[in-house]
This record gives sequence, C-alpha cells and structure tokens, in this order.
Amino acid sequence: MTASLRTRLPTAALFLSAVLAAGAAAAAGKIAVITPYLAQPGTQFYVEAFQEAAKDKAWDVNVIDTKGDVAAVISRLEDAATQKVDAVVINVDPAQVEAGLAAVKDAGIPVVGMDAGASPYLVTNVTSNGYAMAADTAAYVANRIGGKGNVVMFVFDAFPPVQVRGVIADAVFGNNPDIKVLDRVTPDVSDGGIADSRAKMEAILAANPDKGSISAVWAAWDQPALGALQAIEAAGRQDEGIVVTGIDANPQAREAIAAGGNFEASMAQDFHGIGKAAAEAVAQTLSGKPPKSSVVYVPTKLITADNVGD
Amino acid sequence: MASAFKTYGTLIGFVLVVVFFWIEIPDTFMTAKNWLNISQQVSMLAVVAFTMTIVMVMGDFDLSVGSMASLAGIVAALAFRDGHGVWVGVALALIVGLAGGLLNGALVAYVGILPFVATLGTLTVYSGLAFLVSGGKTIFGRDIPTTFSGFARSGIPLAETISLPSLTIVAALVLMVVWFVLEQTTFGRRLYAIGGNKEAARLAGIRVRRLRFLAFGLSGLGAATAGLMYASRVASANPTQGSGLMLDAIAAVFLGMTMSEEGEPHVAATLVGVLILGVLGNGLTQMSIDSYVREVLIGSIIVLAVATSSIGKARG
Repeated sequence: MTASLRTRLPTAALFLSAVLAAGAAAAAGKIAVITPYLAQPGTQFYVEAFQEAAKDKAWDVNVIDTKGDVAAVISRLEDAATQKVDAVVINVDPAQVEAGLAAVKDAGIPVVGMDAGASPYLVTNVTSNGYAMAADTAAYVANRIGGKGNVVMFVFDAFPPVQVRGVIADAVFGNNPDIKVLDRVTPDVSDGGIADSRAKMEAILAANPDKGSISAVWAAWDQPALGALQAIEAAGRQDEGIVVTGIDANPQAREAIAAGGNFEASMAQDFHGIGKAAAEAVAQTLSGKPPKSSVVYVPTKLITADNVGD
Repeated sequence: MASAFKTYGTLIGFVLVVVFFWIEIPDTFMTAKNWLNISQQVSMLAVVAFTMTIVMVMGDFDLSVGSMASLAGIVAALAFRDGHGVWVGVALALIVGLAGGLLNGALVAYVGILPFVATLGTLTVYSGLAFLVSGGKTIFGRDIPTTFSGFARSGIPLAETISLPSLTIVAALVLMVVWFVLEQTTFGRRLYAIGGNKEAARLAGIRVRRLRFLAFGLSGLGAATAGLMYASRVASANPTQGSGLMLDAIAAVFLGMTMSEEGEPHVAATLVGVLILGVLGNGLTQMSIDSYVREVLIGSIIVLAVATSSIGKARG
C-alpha cells in the first residue's frame, strides 16, 4: 500500500504538469522573455505590453522570472537555446549574462534587449533616451529661471545610464553664460538616495542663506530631487521660488509635482511603449529585417503640474 | 519489494520526471549537451548542498550559506578591483568562508546556541558585511578579470560542440571529497553518530564539540566555493546574489534524506535531490511552462516526496 502511494504521488504531479503543458500549444513564434526583475513595477509594464502585442501576432510567449537570481538567467538562456525558441527578450544587464547569451547566439537565436543595456550579443536594445530626458529637464530649468542664477546639480557618474544625463545637463547649463553651477553633488545612494541628498542639500542651503542665492536644483533622477525638496521645505525656504526637477516621474515625484510646490518637473518613461517597441523589434527580426540601430529609443514625456493628472 | 520502494521512492520519482521530459521534449531533453547544461546549472547549488549535508548529518542546519556565498563573491571581486591576482582573490574568499563557517561552529558547539538561531544571526551579519564592504553596489565589468569570468565558460571539449563544463568538474570534485569524508573516514562516521544521538556519542568518547565546530567550517568553505562559482558565472558580484541557494540546498538534502531507510542525509542522495530541482527547472523551461507554475510544482514535489516518505515510515 505504502509503496504504491509513494510512486503514485510523484506520478500525479507529473500528470498535472502534462495537463499544464498541453495548454502551451504550438504557435507562430516561440518567444522567451527572461528577467530577474519581474517584481519591479517598470518591468511589469514592459512585459504586459509585450504580451499584449504578442497576442496580436499569435506568438507563444514564455515569461521567465528568476526572482533576482542573475545566474539563473544564464541557465534559462541555455535552456531557451536548447529548446530552440525563435527569439529571446531579456531585461537584465547583458554583461552579467554573457555566458548564456553566447549559448543563445551559438544556437542562431536572436536576442532583443528590453531596457537591458548595450551589448554586441543583442540585435537591438529598446530603451528610453537618457540624453533626451536630461536635455528636457535641464532646458526646463534654464528657461524657468530665465537663463540666470545658481543651480545645484545632483548626479551619479558611477552608473553609466545616469552619467549621460549629467553630461547633457552640464552642456545645457554651460551654454547659458549667466547660469552658475553652484555644486555638482554625488549623493550616497545606499539608503535609496533621498536621505543623503536631503542632508547634502541642507548643507548647501546653510552655506547659501540669502534669498535668491539658489535658483534651481536639477537632479539626474527623482530621489535626490525629493531629498532636496524636503531640505528646502524643512529650511522654510519653499517660497523663494527654487525650481526642482527630477527624472523618472516615480509615484512620489508625481505626488510632489501635483502638490504644486518647488518640485516642478520630471520625465516619464513610456514603459508600455518600451514593451510594445520590443515586440516590434522582435517581429522585424523574425521577418528578416532587424532594426538597423543597436539602440531603439522610445519617446519620453515631460511631466509638470499641467499634465501630471493625465 | 515494498521496502525497495520505501527507500527508492524519490529515486523512482526522479526517473519518472526524466522519462516524462524525455517523452514531452523528445528532440532536445535527453541529449548529452542538455545534461551537461543541467550539470553546469546546478553546480553551485550542488556544492552548497553537498557541504550542507555535512552539518545536516549531525541534525544541524546552516542558514548562513547563501549570504556567505554572496560575501565570498564580493570579497574576491573587491580584491580583483584593488589589482590583486585571481588566486589572491579566490584564496581570500575561501579564507573568509572557512572563518565564517568556523564562527558558526564556535557559536553552535562552544557557546551552545541552537544552529537555527546562531546561523540565522550570522546570515544577517554576513549579508550586512557583503553590503558594507561593497557599498551595496554590483562589482562588474573591467573590475572582474577575464581569467576569472572565463573559468565558468570554459570546459574540457568532449566532441565538436559539447564540452564538460569547468563548474561541473568543481562540483564533481566537491562531491567526491564530501563522499570520502562522510562515508570513508572515522570523522564522517562520528558525525553520523552525533546525528544519531549526541549524548550517546559524547559518552562514547566522541569529541562532539570539536567535530561540530569543524563541520560548520566545511559548510562555510563550501558556501564560499559556490559564491566564487556564481561570481565567475555572472562575471560580477552583488551583495545578494547567493541568497537563493540556502533554501534550495536544504530542500535538496531533504529530498535526498527521503531515500534513506534511517532518514539520514547521504551526499549521493543529496545529488539526486539537486538533480531533481535542476531537471525540473530545465525541463519546465523547455516546455514553456510559466515560471510561477514551476515554483509551485517544485515546492509541491518537495512536500510530496518528504510526506510520502514520512507516511511510509510512520506506517512501517
């Protein structure tokens, strides 16, 4: 009795998986979407949009979330190569999974990056234009302060996607002879970036106590902008007209912009558009006409009090 | 016949899993290349599970192995970044692993803290240290020497397109060493005696404290080895990257324990446990089954295997 029970239960489990497998019927194209970051809101938006687009194209999409495990991404890439899927989409730094990408390439399977980073292993990488996002917010700041005044910059040059934003803002401010960059701060991001940015901004406010001595704070992403905003409000200097901008338009930033205070603008990435464009890039690749550029940019949008509610 | 099923139920389950995938994925599953892939994919988990077996033989646990694997990877990567050679980084990481393991051993054996509590504490400490020394950042790119990251991509060529991966060889070596230590030495027999009855082992003249101290040291060393393998495979080090290893390793040992008449862990049985987890991951991916369904299935199979084995024992 016990013996038959012991063998029957694993068999039941196998039967269950057989039933599940039957659901995954053959389709026009087998696409594996592999990411360790499905729990992140941005990634969820990409993947949902990708799946929507895939439905129209009658693709069989397998979304594989390795839950933060990057080595498992390599394993699943190897499995996708063995399985001979028609294309792979990744959302992870390609430099960390090169071993798996090499296996996929050897199998002759194209890989499209969905906000993944540049790599010779990718047909193309679909992402937001960091240069353009920084140009939009820096120009917003320059125009709001009439091309004149002291600006505090929050940058992070150690992380390439954020570093390019700083370079562009430098160029915009440098092109305005009456704008002076008071300080170019690199906050400590180990706590998420808000608390240390606030402390740094408090010190800068203390060193520049006169009204009008600081015209604007340009931040390369939202967290330092939120920290600077907290410092300005805590110092009771919210009525001096200091203009604060961020990038990414995260929910906390949108709330601050909607409140109508010093935090005036941020950039929204079109996560949905990135997923859709990634599906388009896969379709082009499968039809034998892959995108020409190694990067496909999806337009971003300046978020201000006027459109934050949309 | 019935007793054979009792002992080999999990093994039969494993064979059924393999046969099932063989039928469902006829072209690509039962190939040398795929099995070499699987062996490489499970190699890091295997090393942790093999050395975890050493402490579980005594009825103890080491919950800190995942964060120790992360810490070891970070230590090596930082050494590389500071311009030290590959061997210096690897040696430093292994020393940290051994020292961390021995600290666990000292807390358990000499201070007398329950392993669950002691290693839960050091889990947090080692994880915190990994964040502290790395500044919370991922160390990657030019900081990682290509000889180090190249190791995980290298192997001994077997045929035109397939080779025996270096990571698989490392795991096989660890398997042989642990098997020898546990099954062929008095040290190993004494660990089983401690697992059987600590008090009786002590009265029989076994130096229980010293053996537990050393066994935890080996577990730490294994965790650090796995951490280095992981860092080599992803060509980077991140303060959280080993955290998934601990629960899977314990699960693999448990799966293996169901194959023993006495419910003792044996490292060869642990290998079967590791392979069950690895084959499920590989096969279900190839069948395009949703990754969350895969999690549910793996968890269910662990519970089923352990449950059927304990039902068998309770009735027996």
